[in-house]
This record gives sequence, structure tokens and C-alpha cells, in this order.
Amino acid sequence: MTVISRITLLLAVFLVVGVSSPWAGEMEDDTVVASATDQTEIDWTELDEDDHELEVWDPLEPFNRGVFWFNDKLYFYLLKPVAKGYRYVAPEPARESVGNFFHNLATPVRFLNCLLQGKAHDAASELALFMINTTFGIAGLFDLTPDDMVKPDAEDFGQTLGRYGMSSGFYLVLPVFGPSNARDAVGRVADSLVDPVTSPFYLKMEPLEVAGIQAYDTVNRVSLDKDTYESIKRDELDPYLFVRNAFMQNRAAKVEK
Amino acid sequence: MNIWSKKVLLITFGVLLCGVPQAICATSPLEQVKVTVVQVVEVLRHGELQGEARRKALSKLLRSRFDFVIMSQRTLGQHWKKATEQEQEEFVRLYSDLLEASYIGRIEAYTDETIDYNSEKLDGDRAVVATVLHSGSTEIPIDYRMVKKGDDWFVYDVVVEDISLIKNYRNSYGEIVRKEGYAGLFELMREKITELNEQPAGAGGKT
Repeated sequence: MTVISRITLLLAVFLVVGVSSPWAGEMEDDTVVASATDQTEIDWTELDEDDHELEVWDPLEPFNRGVFWFNDKLYFYLLKPVAKGYRYVAPEPARESVGNFFHNLATPVRFLNCLLQGKAHDAASELALFMINTTFGIAGLFDLTPDDMVKPDAEDFGQTLGRYGMSSGFYLVLPVFGPSNARDAVGRVADSLVDPVTSPFYLKMEPLEVAGIQAYDTVNRVSLDKDTYESIKRDELDPYLFVRNAFMQNRAAKVEK
Repeated sequence: MNIWSKKVLLITFGVLLCGVPQAICATSPLEQVKVTVVQVVEVLRHGELQGEARRKALSKLLRSRFDFVIMSQRTLGQHWKKATEQEQEEFVRLYSDLLEASYIGRIEAYTDETIDYNSEKLDGDRAVVATVLHSGSTEIPIDYRMVKKGDDWFVYDVVVEDISLIKNYRNSYGEIVRKEGYAGLFELMREKITELNEQPAGAGGKT
């Protein structure tokens, strides 16, 4: 055997052994975990540079925790039982259609906020979907978004304010509506002026009608949800802290988009 | 090159190309996540394992793909450095038990969900694997942040709908340590682990 062939043979052995080791790693987890702890050159306690820390400002924590407790009771004693009964009588496709209807109905809010943020393409998509779903989708009951079309992210005025540099301000838990913050609460009021259900400028529904429609929308949403809040309550040491941080992270990401 | 080396080369490539194709693929972070998920689903849906044995099997799979030490360090941040070695060890132990219990609880509740493995972004020994979970009419984007160690990729953060699990826990665990110290935190964690293990997953009423 020449030197070259010996090297090749050696290489072959290395390649085969090297390649098959991931398999071995999956089987013998103990050894992998042990080697995983060896590498300590990186300081893992620091987040990456582009992954800045998210500090939540919560000066109203005692008040917020009170409202959180209230919403929790509202959810378990009123909303959830009603949603369960509703889920029992209305089949899922029907409930999805109701969800589509409400989503379609709120298009003016998303459309306007796309425009305010200079997202012309998204605004056009919102408008096109609205026209198609309102007509061919029978008042929005059916969502005819083509499979290959990416739906624009749902924009609201809180995100619009964020886009123009306004920070989220303090964390705020709203009764019934749930987690929010100073900026988004203002955004919510502004959006309600545009939303067809709540707007005082057109349709002009009675307060009781508005409440009824919003309650139905909420019950429908809960009926389609797969126990998100239940699993948070089940898994987390302090659900209040988990929801607070998750909400603020999610909103920060939405403003960026 | 003589005839010998040619033969050896041929055999080498032969083995590489035909013999262990899955093994080759399994070196990419996306494939490694996929392999683990497939194995987990296999245990959940088709395995004969039940109860405690099933939990052990799932636990083994998770611990070979998640790096709980890095996750612990990241979660505690500055608090990690101030902790004693015993506190660090105890935290890693409780934290992995806790994450495992809640993760298994969630995947056991899954029924008709499917997962799309969309992309992987590699940056040296770090990677982000982007997946989407389809559940009914909702789509939930789930990203796995991974680090390479040897030939294997380990998950050190899971980002669900733009919410980083580690960043969230960094915030909430940090607050608990500040207010109640490690004794308080460990107590809470132990209670939660017992609670999660006693209450069978998916018992909280399903859709």
C-alpha cells in the first residue's frame, strides 16, 4: 500500500466515524450533556448585542395585578363556560366563519394604519382582500385569501405610534380587554373611532349593541382558542409576569415589522 | 493515484452517499430539530410506552437536543454569576425538570397539528431554525435558536410568535430572585414541578 492510499484509508475511517457520531449523540444523551457543559468560553449570561434586554416598566403593578385577577375570574367563571356551551352548539367551521366576518369587518382600522405607516403594499392587500371577501366571501364569512399570498400583519394605531418613535410607556392591564400599555391604550381609543362597530361617525350603533357584538366576538375567539391561558396558568411560576413580558415582547416585535 | 487508492476512495464515497444518508443530513441544525421532533411524535403517537416509561423516553430525547445549562445561564443573567455553585446546580436541575414537564404537557395535548420546517439561518456556530406549527386554522411561528457543539446542535432558546422564552424567563425569574431569593425561587419551582407531574397533561379540557 502506498502512502496516499493509507492516508485515504485513514480519511475514510475518520469520515465514516465522524459522520455517524451525531447518531450516537442522540442515543447516548449523557455523554453529550457532559460535553455540553465543558465549553464555557462564551459568557452565556449576556444576551447577544442585537438581542437587547426588554425592561418592562410597571409602576402600577399592584393595580394591574388586581385587574389581572379580575380578568382571570371573568375568564374562568363567565367567558369560558359561555364559550364552551357555544362551542358545543356551533360547529368549528361556523365559528371560523364568524371569526372571518369580524376580521373582515375591522379592515378599515388595519387599512388606515397601513397607510399611516407608509405601507402602501400592505394597504393595497388589505383593500383587495376586503373587496373580495366582502363580495365573493359573502360579507366576509369566507376568507378567500389565496394560499400563496402572505397576509399583511394586522396593524393598529398603537403600532403606528410606535413606528413614529413613541415608546410603549408603562404596562397596563385593562379590565375585560387584558394586557396593554400606555401607548397601546391610546391607540385602542383612536382605533375605536375608525372601527365600524364602535365608531361614532358611521353606522352609529347603540352602546348595548356595541357591547353585544364585542361580547360575541370575544366568545367566538375564546371558542376557537386552544386553552392558551390555561396552559400559561398551568406552566408558569407567576402567570402575571409571564403575560406581561410576553405581551411587551410581542408588541415590540410588531412595531418593528 | 494507484488502483488501491481509487478503490478506497470509491468505497468511501459509496459509504457516504448510500450507506448513511440520514446521518449526513442530520448534521444540519434544521434536520437535527426535525429528527428530534419526529422521534418525540413517534413516542407520543405510535409507541407502546406508557406513563412513567414514556415520560422517561421523552425526557431523554429532549435532553439530547436542549442545552439546559446555557438556558439556565441565560435565564438568570447577572444572578447566575452571583449564585453559589450549589445554587447554580440546583437551578439547572429544577429548571430542566420544569421546562421538560411543561413541554411534555404541551406536546402531549397536540393531536392533529403539523409542522413546517421553513428555513435555517447559520451564523458560525449559531443557527436559527424557523418552523410553523399549524393547528386548525391558526399558524404559530416557532423559531429554535441553536448552538453547535461538536457535531451536534443544541437548542438554547425557543421563540414563539416573536416571544423569546428565555427573555421572558430572564425577566420573571430575575424578579422572583430579587424579591424572594433563591430559596423562594426553588420553593416555587419545586411546587410547580410536583403540580405538573401530578396533573396529567391535557387534562385541562381540550378543544
